[in-house]
Amino acid sequence: MQWLYLAIADVFEILVAIAAGKAEGFKNRKWTVVTLLSGAIGTYFLSRALLTFNVGVGYAIWTSVAGVGITLLGAALFGQRLDWRKALGIAVIITGVVGLQLSGAA
Amino acid sequence: MSNTGRSSANSWLMLLLAGGFEVGYALSVGGSHGFTRLTWSLVAVVFFLLTLWALSVALRAIDVGIGYAVWAGIGSAGAALLSPVFFDEALTPVQALWLGVIIIGVVWLKLADRPQNTQEPVDGPQDTRSVAARLQETQGAER
Repeated sequence: MQWLYLAIADVFEILVAIAAGKAEGFKNRKWTVVTLLSGAIGTYFLSRALLTFNVGVGYAIWTSVAGVGITLLGAALFGQRLDWRKALGIAVIITGVVGLQLSGAA
Repeated sequence: MSNTGRSSANSWLMLLLAGGFEVGYALSVGGSHGFTRLTWSLVAVVFFLLTLWALSVALRAIDVGIGYAVWAGIGSAGAALLSPVFFDEALTPVQALWLGVIIIGVVWLKLADRPQNTQEPVDGPQDTRSVAARLQETQGAER
């Protein structure tokens, strides 16, 4: 269940990234509300996940998977280049998450 | 990014603060026990707003990729180092190693997202680039 909570928290964290950009330094009220609301919902599900995960482990997985999601979304939807540097970063993060999982920390 | 030395120093101080706030956010969200503990929950909300604010102020003057890498690095390393202090949690050396791999990965990924890497000439219609530039801003203002 903690992985589901973490996945939901990550979806909202990615939404925060998109909405915060559109909020233009929080001058755009509508997107500022979306940013804060997404952040609040994401934070709630993160807190549910951290009931099971070690805080340091759960937080690191959450924030890094959000980073992977933002990069992949940028490439898929916003025409950003997925160069070898980004691909390497994504691979390193996935390796770390799988390693943590296999070593029983997650 | 053309700043006087002083405003640049202030921005870096703000970035370090944002990293510290992010550590506070991670720890208090964990301490809130699914938002069932009032004090920790209120502290989490305050840190959430502080980290969002400080990061957005810092990134006005600091390169987005570098700023975000430093912020994410401080946040995840700080949470990893302090969570055993606050929560009676222990990692085996192997688990700590994998955690370190993730933190290195996230810092690397943020550095790879620097504008000069993404604003290389793009094949295709002109508007592709403006959309890419917009998402760059998006990532800059994240949180």
